[in-house]
Amino acid sequence: MTDFLQMIAGGIAVGSSYALMGLAMVIIYKTSEVVNFAQGEMALLSIFLTYMVLEFHGFPYYVAFPAALLFAVFLGCFLEFAVLRRAKEPNILGMIIITIGLEMILMGFVSWKFGADPKTMPFPMSPYSSVTLGEVFVSGLEVLTFIVALTVMVILFLFFRYSKLGVAMKATQQNQVAARLMGIRTKRILMITWGISSLVGCLAGLLIAPTTMQPYMMWDPMLKGFAAAVLGGMTSLPGSVFGAYMIGLIENLFGGYISIEFKSVVAFAIIVLVLCIKPSGLFARHYVKKV
Amino acid sequence: MKKRGIWLLLAVLALVLGSAMGAVAEEGVTDTVIHIGQWGPQTGPAAPWGAVARGTGVYFQMINEQGGIHGRKIEYHMFDDAYNPAKTKAGVKELQEGVGMFGWASGVGTACGLSVKDYLMERKIPWVGPAAGSLHWISPPQKYLFAVYPLYYSEAKILCKYAIKELGKKRIAIAYQNDDYGKNGVAGAEAELNKHGLKLVAAVPVELSDTDMKPHVMQLRKADADVVLLWAGPIHAIRIVGTARAMKFQPQWMSTSTCSDFPLMMAISKGLWQGVIVGNFGDLPDSQSPLMLEYKKAFDKYAAKGERWGVFFYAGFGFVEPMVEGLKRCGRDLTRERFVKEMEGIQNFQGIFGKISYSAYEPSDVFCRQGQDELFLTQCVEGGKSKKLTDWMTPD
Repeated sequence: MTDFLQMIAGGIAVGSSYALMGLAMVIIYKTSEVVNFAQGEMALLSIFLTYMVLEFHGFPYYVAFPAALLFAVFLGCFLEFAVLRRAKEPNILGMIIITIGLEMILMGFVSWKFGADPKTMPFPMSPYSSVTLGEVFVSGLEVLTFIVALTVMVILFLFFRYSKLGVAMKATQQNQVAARLMGIRTKRILMITWGISSLVGCLAGLLIAPTTMQPYMMWDPMLKGFAAAVLGGMTSLPGSVFGAYMIGLIENLFGGYISIEFKSVVAFAIIVLVLCIKPSGLFARHYVKKV
Repeated sequence: MKKRGIWLLLAVLALVLGSAMGAVAEEGVTDTVIHIGQWGPQTGPAAPWGAVARGTGVYFQMINEQGGIHGRKIEYHMFDDAYNPAKTKAGVKELQEGVGMFGWASGVGTACGLSVKDYLMERKIPWVGPAAGSLHWISPPQKYLFAVYPLYYSEAKILCKYAIKELGKKRIAIAYQNDDYGKNGVAGAEAELNKHGLKLVAAVPVELSDTDMKPHVMQLRKADADVVLLWAGPIHAIRIVGTARAMKFQPQWMSTSTCSDFPLMMAISKGLWQGVIVGNFGDLPDSQSPLMLEYKKAFDKYAAKGERWGVFFYAGFGFVEPMVEGLKRCGRDLTRERFVKEMEGIQNFQGIFGKISYSAYEPSDVFCRQGQDELFLTQCVEGGKSKKLTDWMTPD
């Protein structure tokens, strides 16, 4: 029984970081239907710069971390403004290819600037100190990630449901022309979307970095986050969080009871299965455009 | 008619002379230059090991600065394969068929090396010191392939022997990267334990894509292991140790030479690596041996800014020391066949690694192409320093 509970706790813990990445991807997809493959590397750049100011310039945490989040917002807005918006005759496939290009450029820049040796982010909390719940161990960092993931989800959910900007974002996704006719500055909306998404991705990165940092570190969480978002339905925020926890739990239970070798791929197999049965994901509402 | 006859004669002459010239000048060797290639991951998940290829570059630069080898400078061609065997193969073919290498030095990664092994061997191109301790290099032995790195198999045997005999441990488990590297470790550990009438209490595979180590640690803890061998990359190894610490599971950790860069391991594990015992194939970073001091000087002079004098970096010197020795022994008359013959004559060669010896090619003798067979064990102590636990050891 303890083993089972430990696996559940492990699944939830690892699901939280997938959830943050999933949320970040959903935000952009929700407004532009673009899958942003540079999501992980946008966070990567922010966290390596944070590492730089903490380690080499002696900035305190309370300055470095908020600055990282601000920088992330700026970076997201900048990339949208300077790169994506410049695409000629943009279509969705072209945009996705651009994000893949951005991913390579950002990773290349970080590898060049900081080298390939693994590092760890200084953090107020050790990633290896644990909290005991009965016989079950959870690390403090995992508890923090869990709280952050849920908080971000709730804030974003409320934001999209009730705030003017959030509703404008949704409108932009559903029909850009109509949205513009209603007086929404859709380009600016897209830019803000990228900024918010980058911020959420950066949060995920900052919570992963205390364990290990290397130029390749965000690729896997990004893929898992993407998988979670697909599972939950790419446009649903709670869906992507649910998907992320499902993946975390499936991985842990499968690894514990059936085969540890195939633990990382089983989640993807289940996604294929779900998509065969419900192509738009578990939670997405399908908008049918009438012609 | 007469004109055609002259052309025919010229063509025949050109063919004959051409092939005769070809026999004299070996591919990749000119009067002034020897072309040598190497691949190494400068990007991607294995990038920390890419220091090997950069180390070799500095070593060759040092040799060139000292006048080269019998009047010839080494022209070093290194490329980034990102630890991706498909890229390794493409890059090797491009350099071999485009520029023409005399031979290949080192090269990180078992899978990467395997992707080009047959290509190089079929073309009789020498390859010295693959930076991986795989059994594939020597089993079966290849005439043109000289291994330097002690076998992971032997390393696992030595570590298990130490755990049983010196530490009195009986419950030994292994967490291994699920590929050739990890499986060589499992095979070595099983062989040594069998000899003592023991069995591995757990063998837990780690996939390269795994980031969450809880399921792995749970299995190790369930098996109640008192020693755990970590046959994985540095990051996975640290994650396992860290997760185990969080789960209050603290066996004696042991690991391979690939995780022996203590300053690096201590820095990224935030001190958790302290107490881990590893195998070492060469001198320690702070060694004061004259050769290491000379190499350190070359490092200070030629290495790029921001480069670190770590184990992987100077391993790039060590893996190719025997190659340079072989080239020196050839004199001016450098052909691949002569090079192989001279390499076979190397006995008890001492560079910054353990003793290296080869013998005449014998298809049934796997050790005729395994240069180094000895290792010593160290333990990571405070500040990332090494405490030497044993002298050079060879597996029984």
